[in-house]
Amino acid sequence: MKNIVLTINGKKISSPPGTSILEAAGKNAIKIPTLCSHADLAPHGACRFCLVEEENTGRLMASCVTPVAQDMIIQTDSPRVTGHRKNIARLMIAEHPESCIVCNKGNRCELRMVAAQLGVAETGLYPMPNYKPFETNNPFIIRDLSKCILCGKCIRGDHELVAVGAIDYNDRGFPSRPATLYGQPLEASNCTFCGTCVSLCPTGALSTHNTFFVGTPQREATSICGFCSAGCSLTMGVASQHTTGETFIDRVVEVSPSSDIGTVNGPTLCVRGHFAHDFLLSPDRLTHPLIKRPSEEGVASLQPCSIDEAIATIASRLADIKRLHGPDSIGFIGSTKCTNEENYLFQKIARVIFNTNNITTSGILNGQALLRELDRKTLDASRVNPLSGLENAQAIVTILADPDHSVPVAGYHIKRGVKKGAPLVAIDPYRTDIAAFGTIWLHPEKSTESQPLPHDIINALAARLIHENGADQAFMDQKTNDPHGWFENIVSVNPDTYAVQAGVSPEKIKKAAEMLKGKKIAVVLPGDLLERKNGKEIFDAAFNLALLTGSIGDTHAGIFILSLENNLAGAMDMGCVPDMLPGRRPIEKPEERKILEDSWQTSLPTNPGMDIHAMIEAAEAGTLKALYIMGENLLRTLPDPDRVRSALEKLDFIVVQEIIRNKTAEIADVILPAAAFAEKQGSFTNMEGRLQSFDAVVPPPGDALADWKLLAMLAEKNGHTEDYTTVENIQREIRQIIPGYSEIGSHRQVWVSQPETKQSETFAFAPLSAARATTTDKDYPFSAFIGNLRWHLGSGTRTSRSGRIKASGKAGEIAISTKDAHALGLNKGSKDDGGAVIRLVSPFGAVSRAYVVDPAVPPGQVFIPQGFSGNDLMQITDFSALKDTGSGWRNVNVRIEKIISSTD
Amino acid sequence: MDPTQFDPEKINEIIERYQDKKWGLIPLLQDVQETIGFIPPESIEPIANALHMHPSQVQGVITFYSGFSLKPKGRYVLKVCRGTACHVKGSRSLLRMIQRDLHLEEGETSPDYQFTLETVACLGACFLAPTMMVNRDYFGKLNPTKVTSVLSEYSKDSKEA
Repeated sequence: MKNIVLTINGKKISSPPGTSILEAAGKNAIKIPTLCSHADLAPHGACRFCLVEEENTGRLMASCVTPVAQDMIIQTDSPRVTGHRKNIARLMIAEHPESCIVCNKGNRCELRMVAAQLGVAETGLYPMPNYKPFETNNPFIIRDLSKCILCGKCIRGDHELVAVGAIDYNDRGFPSRPATLYGQPLEASNCTFCGTCVSLCPTGALSTHNTFFVGTPQREATSICGFCSAGCSLTMGVASQHTTGETFIDRVVEVSPSSDIGTVNGPTLCVRGHFAHDFLLSPDRLTHPLIKRPSEEGVASLQPCSIDEAIATIASRLADIKRLHGPDSIGFIGSTKCTNEENYLFQKIARVIFNTNNITTSGILNGQALLRELDRKTLDASRVNPLSGLENAQAIVTILADPDHSVPVAGYHIKRGVKKGAPLVAIDPYRTDIAAFGTIWLHPEKSTESQPLPHDIINALAARLIHENGADQAFMDQKTNDPHGWFENIVSVNPDTYAVQAGVSPEKIKKAAEMLKGKKIAVVLPGDLLERKNGKEIFDAAFNLALLTGSIGDTHAGIFILSLENNLAGAMDMGCVPDMLPGRRPIEKPEERKILEDSWQTSLPTNPGMDIHAMIEAAEAGTLKALYIMGENLLRTLPDPDRVRSALEKLDFIVVQEIIRNKTAEIADVILPAAAFAEKQGSFTNMEGRLQSFDAVVPPPGDALADWKLLAMLAEKNGHTEDYTTVENIQREIRQIIPGYSEIGSHRQVWVSQPETKQSETFAFAPLSAARATTTDKDYPFSAFIGNLRWHLGSGTRTSRSGRIKASGKAGEIAISTKDAHALGLNKGSKDDGGAVIRLVSPFGAVSRAYVVDPAVPPGQVFIPQGFSGNDLMQITDFSALKDTGSGWRNVNVRIEKIISSTD
Repeated sequence: MDPTQFDPEKINEIIERYQDKKWGLIPLLQDVQETIGFIPPESIEPIANALHMHPSQVQGVITFYSGFSLKPKGRYVLKVCRGTACHVKGSRSLLRMIQRDLHLEEGETSPDYQFTLETVACLGACFLAPTMMVNRDYFGKLNPTKVTSVLSEYSKDSKEA
């Protein structure tokens, strides 16, 4: 279509049809003031500040909602226009309360800015403040709707960006305000406290509940969120704060989404990203090195020492142990929360200095297995998966994925995709938020002879799609092979049989298949799928569905994995894996090993090293003597913490390099205080394959140092003269060694490059799984699932040190189904009866917690959220489940015991 | 007659008619308002689910239009016109009189759900000023005597019922 030519302020401008006058002006550096417009929100036309005058007709119009038209002559600053703008500003200020002068928004208030630019000082109007109650009851968001100017940004952000729908305009005229359903306070509504509304609010109507800082941060700097694998871009507000004595140090006092263009999160965040970063200020932060020394009474305890002494002790003790017991008597546990550079250095130290492949991360508990399986199945073709693909998908299928709690930003992308018209088929026995949001929710409705499993539903869907000619035959012919005869097997049975087997009505499966027919689909899987029972079968079925629909290799389709740890992929790429060298090179391949041996000028151990499970067993057996743990709280994260503790206590020497004094640090021989992500430079690789570099926002507390600095010191102490004095030097080495990372550090955001798949290679269909659930155990009749709630990430070492998360009063209640609660005589939620407690007993241990009756939980199952109350639930999990992937430590059979509290 | 004792099945029937039809929100709400006499707050969520909307959005629409009410109204809704013409003709005195007689303030409903008292900006019948409406019936050229007889007529009606 031809461009439209118009004149704005005497300047001839050409714009594509459909552009608003505001956009056209903005593209030509003509600034029009606005309060309600935002690049990521649909035009709304609420504030009227963007009024412009059209000379031909003499009309005044809101430029944000008026499209350009041929030969328009627009004046954006004529006296008439400014006069009107001033009046709007005067009216808004006249309605504003006097608390404006002590408002935390200060000079960042957009209303104040616009009024100042217009030169409005006194309104000359009778003040008519529109007082509304001041809401401060939740620890995250303060609502002072007296300051609301009804721009609707919070409402539009809530509906268009995060699609939660907690608030909308209520009433009309003067009483009109954004309100929750039934006008309840936010904490009683379905608000997720993602804080998106707070960062969009132009005035002080919505602000963060900040208990440790008042006022405007002195400066702002960008960083990358350290929690889940979305890797959101953050803007951190920094203020110089008085700490002990006379010293002032820069501290992060506020976190909001960065205003950079093209970030994964745009103007959104989640409750963790927005509010849980106050763990950075936790009094539990480690500020100086500690070393275990006998005191005068002869009792060994951790005492402060110098960094040099700590490093020297580590170097000499580890060297001794290596000499005495061999290289494989030392284990290294890297971190999926540390940067690429640090993990690279860490594994290099393990392999080159200590000659062992005993290097791993807690990624084995949190989704590494799934990434490896995805690599294997897609022939490395799925390393780059922009989340924007979900937003533009033709159809979305979520399988056991609960993005609202695991990776909320991915959930926003899915919901936006649905709002754009993509059908969403949610497969999950739990009625999760995304299942409720979905176009159709597929779950076992009827009891069948054997317990139906999610892959039965996926197979039923696949069978129905084939039956309806909904498969992508061309893709299957060219790009796939079927060594196990999956296709033959699945078509050999009437598709309805699968539906019946899956406990879903054939009509419903048919309806879902019709939605997906002929479309490329985006399959969304939880990162921990292979840590669940039957995860392997579910993944096989999901992958087959993706192949059947020709969805692999398409930008807006394919497999999307919601990883929990923010640098899961990066730590793996860097080689913190016992059987893979940097660049995910298999260690057993001599030609791959040779590349690194040449580059590092050393010879590398050829045997794959031990994983966490094997390390703990070796510690028990006495063959492992030392452990170097970087950024991992094993005693909180691993199943069966008692067993892990006694294993670790057998070790001769433990180094813990940590940011927080935690349980694991307590049993260390040397503790190195490290810097959190906001206090150092480096890069993370997110779930999309986006490689994001960041700089330090604030200095680390006390004598703490960035992990890479500590590691560089250790390398130097061991006689390695490589120059690791800067992150750039480490990045230079990574660039040469890891093919996908040739761009690392060149820009703030780059993409890892996709390894080239050979054109001739085809994807293999997995066999049709016939796995059935094991028959229920009489002693342990319930199936407990250990999952996540949005308040905590993983085991919660960091999030539980956030004052605001703690203050939210979330107790990690065990959720049980309405039916079971009734049968067990548990009919009250913990909120109503002051915390009735139940006990879950598994073959491995027991845990007691308050409970809630949750209709989203299917009968026979119980849900326990991770991260709460010291992550005590790990007591009921099976340590041996870590041995093989797919054995599912997240599912445990339990029985429920009622505890009668003394107050009853 | 207690309007809070309604048959929820009636609402379900209405919702079913509009299942999956987002465009039907306002007609749906009108049907509920008409059938039940108000829109019970607990019906917001089922309505939103059926139409694939957020419940807060449905509530927003209900609270925007004065034709919808989340609270039960009386059997007879009195709308006293407070337009300019009626004002000049003494509608304020009439309103005060009604308030006194029915013991109701503007927007209130009597405990026996017999009367709801409302005011409107203009009934568009200025030539009959001062005016008021009781449900769908107009009463014009009012004076205190006429108002008393109108009120007693509807009160009497209630006793018969």
